[in-house]
Amino acid sequence: MSIKAEHINFLYGEGTAFEQYALKDVSFEIEDGQFIGLIGHTGSGKSTLIQHLNGLLRASSGTIYYNGENIYQEGYNMRALRSKVGLVFQYPEHQLFEIDVFSDVCFGPKNQGLEQDEIEQRATGALRAVGLPEKYWKQSPFELSGGQKRRVAIAGVLAMLPEVLILDEPTAGLDPRGRDEILEEISGLHRDRHMTIILVSHSMEDVARYADRLIVMNHGEKLFDAPPREVFRHYKELEAVGLAAPQITYIVQRLRAEGVPIADDITMVAEAKTAILQLLRKDPK
Amino acid sequence: MIREITLGQYYPVDSVLHRMDPRTKLFGTMVFIISLFLANGVPAYIAATVFLVLAIRLSKVPFSFMVRGLKAIIFLLLISVSFNLFLTPGQILVQLGFLKVTWEGLRTAAFMALRLIYLVIGSSVMTLTTTPNELTDGLERSLGFLKRVGVPVHEISMMMSIALRFIPILVEETDKIMKAQMARGADFESGNLIQKAKSMVPLLVPLFISAFRRATDLAMAMEARCYHGGEGRTKMKPLKYAQRDRIAYLFYLIYLAVLIVLRLL
Amino acid sequence: MGIIRASKLIYNYVRRDEDDHVEEVSRAIDNMSLDIKAGDFVAILGHNGSGKSTFAKQINGILLPTDGTVWISGMDTRDDSHIWDIRRTAGMVFQNPDNQIIGNIVEEDVGFGPENIGVPTDEIWKRVDESLEAVGMTAYRLKSPNKLSGGQKQRVAIAGVMAMKPQCIILDEPTAMLDPNGRREVIRTLHELNHKEGITVLLITHYMEEVIDADRVIVMDDGHVVMDGTPREIFSHVRELKGYRLDVPQVTELAWELAEEGVPLQQGILTVDELMAALLPLFGETAADAEQGKMVADDGAEQRETTLAGK
Repeated sequence: MSIKAEHINFLYGEGTAFEQYALKDVSFEIEDGQFIGLIGHTGSGKSTLIQHLNGLLRASSGTIYYNGENIYQEGYNMRALRSKVGLVFQYPEHQLFEIDVFSDVCFGPKNQGLEQDEIEQRATGALRAVGLPEKYWKQSPFELSGGQKRRVAIAGVLAMLPEVLILDEPTAGLDPRGRDEILEEISGLHRDRHMTIILVSHSMEDVARYADRLIVMNHGEKLFDAPPREVFRHYKELEAVGLAAPQITYIVQRLRAEGVPIADDITMVAEAKTAILQLLRKDPK
Repeated sequence: MIREITLGQYYPVDSVLHRMDPRTKLFGTMVFIISLFLANGVPAYIAATVFLVLAIRLSKVPFSFMVRGLKAIIFLLLISVSFNLFLTPGQILVQLGFLKVTWEGLRTAAFMALRLIYLVIGSSVMTLTTTPNELTDGLERSLGFLKRVGVPVHEISMMMSIALRFIPILVEETDKIMKAQMARGADFESGNLIQKAKSMVPLLVPLFISAFRRATDLAMAMEARCYHGGEGRTKMKPLKYAQRDRIAYLFYLIYLAVLIVLRLL
Repeated sequence: MGIIRASKLIYNYVRRDEDDHVEEVSRAIDNMSLDIKAGDFVAILGHNGSGKSTFAKQINGILLPTDGTVWISGMDTRDDSHIWDIRRTAGMVFQNPDNQIIGNIVEEDVGFGPENIGVPTDEIWKRVDESLEAVGMTAYRLKSPNKLSGGQKQRVAIAGVMAMKPQCIILDEPTAMLDPNGRREVIRTLHELNHKEGITVLLITHYMEEVIDADRVIVMDDGHVVMDGTPREIFSHVRELKGYRLDVPQVTELAWELAEEGVPLQQGILTVDELMAALLPLFGETAADAEQGKMVADDGAEQRETTLAGK
């Protein structure tokens, strides 16, 4: 199973004076079970890109294959695709509408035309998967905290049993602990259910920690596509397009510049700690 | 569709019309609308066309931009044209089964269409050259006399100005909510009328909640910036008539006079 | 007495049912006392629900104390006759940039505040010019706010407050909805206003990187102040901060983790430069003097073994 994008172009305002490429010749293939970090500054095309993957936007040219099938071919079931490729938008406020949390999570499976039993089973499973305590299930989703609302929004998509889960900045506006908790839940879905995850994020620290592959977008084009430690080696190029590497990368690069023989692909605090301790304690000879 | 309505959109260029006092433009639009209803013959429509073309040329707004506003009324236009075309009694020109087109019908339909189109373009000229704030300022000042009979003119104009600011934001938000629900398998297109109405619930609830939230936030932000109604408020851009406004009023007078004469002839 | 002073401040949110009976009372601020010096750049940290936003709304009288007192420049916020003076002295910027811009054009929005307090027309224009210049948004003065980026919108909001000539600005999570570039833009603007115009800044946030240049950091939890000091003092207590659902910048965390393992680094390292200055001599020692290097390692030798084995 995979998502394959071939030479995707997307134009805004086609045929007018304001014509502008939102995506330009973007190609990639996402294998089953990968954890992708999608980064790029605002307006780099990442939001446009993810909306192509579940057919909410249609490419001006190029093809997208889901499990080998061209999603633009005549008669392709887009609604079925949307339940396979689940997309959670940035603000949960844009999707919560039911009187209680549980009913809201049922919305997706209901649209899939399932039996009531199955719907409820799915909702129960999804709410458990995101770690939302049962006492909230019959509450109005509007009275929950920001972090809980996000959990409900993610559960609302999970209940459709997607194979791929795309999350657009799921931690925006949360406090540090709330952010870590949500990321842990997502990482758990990847680990335990082998879901393919695409995480759109502004935090280099977060993607360094969770993703095993980074796709970096800039002005609608794919700039990098590699494991995080390789992408962050190009920290100077990232800076040139208004991005940055995790702080740890800078520490490591500075140490290397001073002649300390530390590996140049370290991106996380724990790794850096181990490496520095090792260097400090090693007999100099 | 909603995005294509140019009414209420400002086109920022520098022109005589842009610099004109909003009251002058409001009054001019009113004069133009009245003239359209006074007009009952080809000469009168020629005069109206001259008025409109002059205004468009003075505004420096590309003509194509003004025509866009018409898309919103195409349906209305078609209905009124066909009603007039087929239902006006008189001298029959063509007969297609039970449908008959009369000479009078053709004439009325043409004038009616012209009247509607001019109406929309005429008001677009005003909104494209006047910022919503100037517009509400203009309304507030022009209707100031109503304050004496207890109409909260300032509050109404402030509400209008805020509504105009938030329309594009809410349009964009509607789009986002629709996409979020479509990602959960919502279907806004198929089904009969009742199903369609029901399918709007997942769109409308988040939209209303968000609108209320924005309203409370905005009220708080306005209070924090010392807003307390129109009392004791000064103006950054007070309205002041200039030479060009006086010329415009003179022109309106002549124009109206011509129209009335044509009507009486 | 400072420009903002709170004494034994208590605030309860009260929820009432239809018959106006009290249904639920929740205490958002619990016996908080605070004194903020004019000209300081103060950051208030705290997780969502710690009471920091409620406190912000107390400062310019949007909310009034249930008990205790708040003074702004000596004026009691409960004194009705001073409410407009208070709001003009302590300007407020909110989280959502869209929901606080009233004008349909940037310059008209900046002029909104001065209009409300009855500033004469010529003076409004002067203030609008100055405020837009101060936040670096002069080039955008005739644009529609809807066409701006999040960071630019927040700068317009700041200009709107500046045009009322306040003595201090309170910002309630102004960067929560912005991307990293927008966040930097806003924080840089605030530091400039603080330096050049001497404006007291009270920045409420939960982004740790934004507070390292502040003069003073206050941590709130459960409705009261739990930590109060310079950024260096605050960030020396990594474990305590984590207990309050907060975090520290990666560089601070690394320094702390290393120190926990017995590496002799001072607490509260805030920047990469500081860490380099402290860490590099240690590498010099390992290279030059093996003995000392060994001593350094003594403390956490066992842990090191496990970490290494793990790798």
